[in-house]
Amino acid sequence: MASILEIIFELINNMLQFFRLGKKSISNSLNIYIKSNTGSTLSIELDPKWDIKNVKEVIAPKLGLPPNEVKIIFAGKELDDSITIEECDLGEQSILHAVQSRSQSKRSRPLSESVANLQLSNISENDDSSSTIEEQLESSEEKGIKNTHFYVYCSQPCKSVRVGKLRVRCANCHSGALTVDSDPSCWDDVLKSNRITAHCEETRCETGPVSFAEFFFKCAEHTSQGEKDEAVPLYLIRPNISHVPCLACTDISDPVLVFSCEERHVTCLDCFRQYCVTRLRERQFVSDDRLGYTLPCPAGCENSLIEECHHFRLLTSEQYQMYQRFGAEEYVLKAGGVLCPQPGCGAGIIIDTDCKRVQCVGGCGVRSH
Amino acid sequence: MANNIAAQRIQREFKEVIKSDEVAKCAIRVELVNDNYTELKGEIAGPPDTPYEGGNFVLEIKVPETYPFNPPKVRFITKIWHPNISSVTGAICLDILRDQWAAAMTLRTVLLSLQALMAAAEPDDPQDAVVAKQYKDDQEMFRLTAKHWTAKYAGGPGGNPDFEMKIRRLTDMGVEEDQARVALSSYNWDLERATEQLFS
Repeated sequence: MASILEIIFELINNMLQFFRLGKKSISNSLNIYIKSNTGSTLSIELDPKWDIKNVKEVIAPKLGLPPNEVKIIFAGKELDDSITIEECDLGEQSILHAVQSRSQSKRSRPLSESVANLQLSNISENDDSSSTIEEQLESSEEKGIKNTHFYVYCSQPCKSVRVGKLRVRCANCHSGALTVDSDPSCWDDVLKSNRITAHCEETRCETGPVSFAEFFFKCAEHTSQGEKDEAVPLYLIRPNISHVPCLACTDISDPVLVFSCEERHVTCLDCFRQYCVTRLRERQFVSDDRLGYTLPCPAGCENSLIEECHHFRLLTSEQYQMYQRFGAEEYVLKAGGVLCPQPGCGAGIIIDTDCKRVQCVGGCGVRSH
Repeated sequence: MANNIAAQRIQREFKEVIKSDEVAKCAIRVELVNDNYTELKGEIAGPPDTPYEGGNFVLEIKVPETYPFNPPKVRFITKIWHPNISSVTGAICLDILRDQWAAAMTLRTVLLSLQALMAAAEPDDPQDAVVAKQYKDDQEMFRLTAKHWTAKYAGGPGGNPDFEMKIRRLTDMGVEEDQARVALSSYNWDLERATEQLFS
């Protein structure tokens, strides 16, 4: 008897659960923060299969707003009702911005989606020879490339080169509740400030509705650790959409490192490492006053020095340590300093002009004249 | 890994040279010396309208582990009389084999550059100061000497009975032939001064 009752009870329970969750039963949940422009933050569990309309229905009551007055902003775009969460490239503990709005602005797909497909070129917009975004989009679709990635150096916690995600915030108040007026079309748009205008929804933001977008990158391979969790874009590492062979080994690999010279010479990442190590061992890096300890294109082109020294993070940690040590030593010598002659000490000392006797105080205590 | 990049790259360049137009015209050639692509033998035909015309010059090409980020080490095996090439060791003074090397250059471009160097010497940036001085002071003497060396060492056409006779005079005195030729060439084929230098 007891067992029959138990079965009936379980049945009823199951039916109740079915009704409670309705059609939105969570199969594979994702923890997301919803930040409103009034300052409150909600933590909610979302199903990656849900669309934005579902999300609005869930969060609107919690914000005390009707669902049709909620705008969801993510990565610089107001998201369209029909987009599903999984299409947005949202990671665990990502932040969506919910703002109240009666006006219907242009809705679209998130920036990460539309821009991820682009080969952000180094060529500036005003360069006539550069193809339009549409052309680039088309060509990348033709070749069946769905998700082109950005590469970043993640200093915490991954400590290595990772796939990255492009994100955007208000240049003034740093709020993510911002919609961009246009997509960035080249790397300059992303890396230089005040090139893309945007609309900031943050009520506390002083610039008013028109602001500039500030782009930044996040590591795509660890759970977001909040708004301050950023990664350095390694913008010379690009997907090899046009199948350019490496200038050193002539293999066609993907991704590749594209130098900033006019010819856009390409090396594969292995050859780039080999190139760095070869030049490093010979101390043939360039000590540039503005850029630091860096390298030009291996084909010897002009104006091709690597500007973002985090690209050398592609080296192994031992090699990178060597890079850092040599870079620091070159700097000390260039500044008129001396290096402690004791092997392994490594201390660099900048001496006064009238000084005749130097003692390595901080390092090993060795005296020299 | 390091060896792989260099070997892989040389392998492709080797094929590039073999398929090139210049090989079809017999202007350049490469051969493998060992199986791991670290050493090759190159050959350049002496360019037309130069004292090297008709000669065939053999080169030693050593590929460093750090290739193509460092240049290959190239020297002439065939003795040659040229301002930018050592008449003793065959060492070459050419910017692209030193600081002007770029990773985009290949065996083919190196061989063609050397051929161009043979056609247009740079006496102001010499490897062999004696040759360079002769080249600047007495073009005709230089031309005859270089032609003689080409005939002697590189299988070029024509002989020079006067030069041959002078060399024989020295070898008769017990001087080794190559040594005699260097001494005579260095002193503009002045037998007396060459003898003086050899026996001083």
